[in-house]
Amino acid sequence: MTYIAGVDIGNSTTEVCIGEADLNGGIHFLSSSSCSTTGTKGTLSNTHGIKTALKQAMSKIDLDMEDLSLIRLNEAAPVIGDTAMETLTETIITDSSMIGHNPSTPAGAGQAVGEILLIDNLSRGVLGTAYIVAASDSFSYEEVAALLNQSADSLDIAGVILQADEAVLVENRLHKKVPIIDEVARIDKLPDGVPAAIEVALPGQTIRMLSNPYGIATLLHLNAEETRTVTPIAKSLIGKRSAVVLKTPGGNVRENVLPAGEIYLDGENSTSINLDEGAEKIMQVVSAVGNIRDISGQSGTNVGNMFSRIKKGMSEVDNIPDSDIHITDILAVDTLAPVLISGALAGETCLEKAVGIAAMVKTQQLPMQKIAESLRSELHTDVKVAGVEAVMASLGALTTPGTRLPLAILDMGGGSTDAAVISEEGKVIMTHQAGAGELVSMLIETELGLSDRHMAEQIKKYPLAKVESLFHMRMENGQMTFVDQSIDPRFYGRVVLLTDEGFIRIEEEIPMEKIVQVRQEAKRKVFVTNAFRALQKVAPDHDLKNISNVVLVGGSAEDFEIPEMLMEEFSNYRIVCGRGNIRGQEGPRNSVATGLVLSYAGEIQ
Amino acid sequence: MIIKKPSIFIYTNEADHAALKEICAGIEEEGVFFELQEMEKSSLEDLAWNAANDSMLGSGIGVKGDHIALQMRGLDKGSNVQGYQNPTREQCRKLGANSARAIKKLSFK
Repeated sequence: MTYIAGVDIGNSTTEVCIGEADLNGGIHFLSSSSCSTTGTKGTLSNTHGIKTALKQAMSKIDLDMEDLSLIRLNEAAPVIGDTAMETLTETIITDSSMIGHNPSTPAGAGQAVGEILLIDNLSRGVLGTAYIVAASDSFSYEEVAALLNQSADSLDIAGVILQADEAVLVENRLHKKVPIIDEVARIDKLPDGVPAAIEVALPGQTIRMLSNPYGIATLLHLNAEETRTVTPIAKSLIGKRSAVVLKTPGGNVRENVLPAGEIYLDGENSTSINLDEGAEKIMQVVSAVGNIRDISGQSGTNVGNMFSRIKKGMSEVDNIPDSDIHITDILAVDTLAPVLISGALAGETCLEKAVGIAAMVKTQQLPMQKIAESLRSELHTDVKVAGVEAVMASLGALTTPGTRLPLAILDMGGGSTDAAVISEEGKVIMTHQAGAGELVSMLIETELGLSDRHMAEQIKKYPLAKVESLFHMRMENGQMTFVDQSIDPRFYGRVVLLTDEGFIRIEEEIPMEKIVQVRQEAKRKVFVTNAFRALQKVAPDHDLKNISNVVLVGGSAEDFEIPEMLMEEFSNYRIVCGRGNIRGQEGPRNSVATGLVLSYAGEIQ
Repeated sequence: MIIKKPSIFIYTNEADHAALKEICAGIEEEGVFFELQEMEKSSLEDLAWNAANDSMLGSGIGVKGDHIALQMRGLDKGSNVQGYQNPTREQCRKLGANSARAIKKLSFK
């Protein structure tokens, strides 16, 4: 018996398929496995992952790696995907002119105007001036309440700002009720003696005076010119439950537009475009350029740094000089990123405009031959680099029940979206497009303001639920699920991810609806755009109508909603589109590895 | 008809006063009512479980000496939602706040 292994090294996973060839050239598939790719795709460090995957697959059929008589590696396309993000705007608060946030429990309601008076200086206050008292968390709620009650007759106290989360506690102990704002982290930055206006919204409402420029003007007695300068403050306070606005002479909130820079495209019709134009314009220009030789950015600008960072990162892994690395495709996506406002006193954030870019980097031919040699000497087995990746993927995809030639495949991986069309004569046309799963993760990470990429990847993969009591939860589609055993209290009231191994808690307090919306939007922006772009390139006469069947393969085709999104979009073109099912059992994975084993049969015949 | 305010029950047994005060402050800040009751000698688990089951809101706290525990109706005796031995002021405040947040269906602090 001859055992043959097909090995597919991808950007993020290495897949293996084991087959048995009989004397007549027939192939029986025996087992398969996958594990994460070790190191960058196409480098020597991949061998470690390959061996792990091989061992896994062979142990499933009770055989050793030594029993293999041939290992067939994919001739990986020398393209690697990378992503980068750049914000285009930034918001700066100068002279600590405002605080606007959503503490969970402010107290009192209404607005008040007065001079800021630190509680240590309470004795310096004079009768006849209204004061807003600010207290740091070194004072307990009892001390604050006692001090304020003492001075209630001698001073006009209009409102209180607290550092600790004790607004209700203080209010319950005050004889004279005033609006109280709490959880102001940087209370030490409040300037003493400056006129200020505070507002706490009624329960269930948001503030109305301080989110209105004329409201601020009324409270702080501003003239027309000053009112104009506070407009951005009012704008940024919309939707808050409590706010403080200080009347500092130079104080202001500014939105800076960062110098974004030009993107230079070198191709058939070389051109350039400014990053400010937005993703849509950029993509129009990219498709108008035709075949791209290289893309670079204006040096000294954000976009310039972004592209040089991508190239530098690649040259470090591959030990190839920068000049030999070319970016041959980009996918630009508009996004909004919540960024901490510089100068803010209570950790306020502002949604800044940003552009996410995935780039397709073309390097020299990947050293697959070297990997083959090192495997050969380590395993004492024949190792062959066989066949172009896209051809192998198409061969594998054809094992999906219900397919026939001509066939288009869409291989959606981690780093790139590849498309290929095989005609009835077996001719293959293919393309590699920048942007896939990793760009989706990056968009989710920035738009939700998450602290790490790993969490974003989990959010991409799993559906959500909100734990509403210890015994039931609401799924993101509205369905309710009840459980026998009480849910761990750590998940109570939280949004969780439903994974195979149980729940994962989302630490950030983001509503479930918002996460769902961001997740779906990110997937749509990347995969729907790219699917059309890629298929248009390979379709006969560049017309989608000339394609009748599309099989989705690759890691991202396993996603629980991406295939449905594409199916909906393609149904408008009367294209049969669906998730592949390699060999009728593997799902959309393992197509290249399967193709590699299959192509062996073709060779010996 | 007996009308009672819906409140969180705190059953105590020779409670540590500093801890109890912080727990109450935590509940008060969240704007929920609470009732204190000194109980006969019993275990912390019993105190918390009984408090949760007697409370109309289904949220109860047991304090025995310097041991504190948060319990909710529907859970087994002994499987406390949260519990501390010799807690810090911060922990007491948060446990109190959480007993209220459990009712408001907000995530715990």
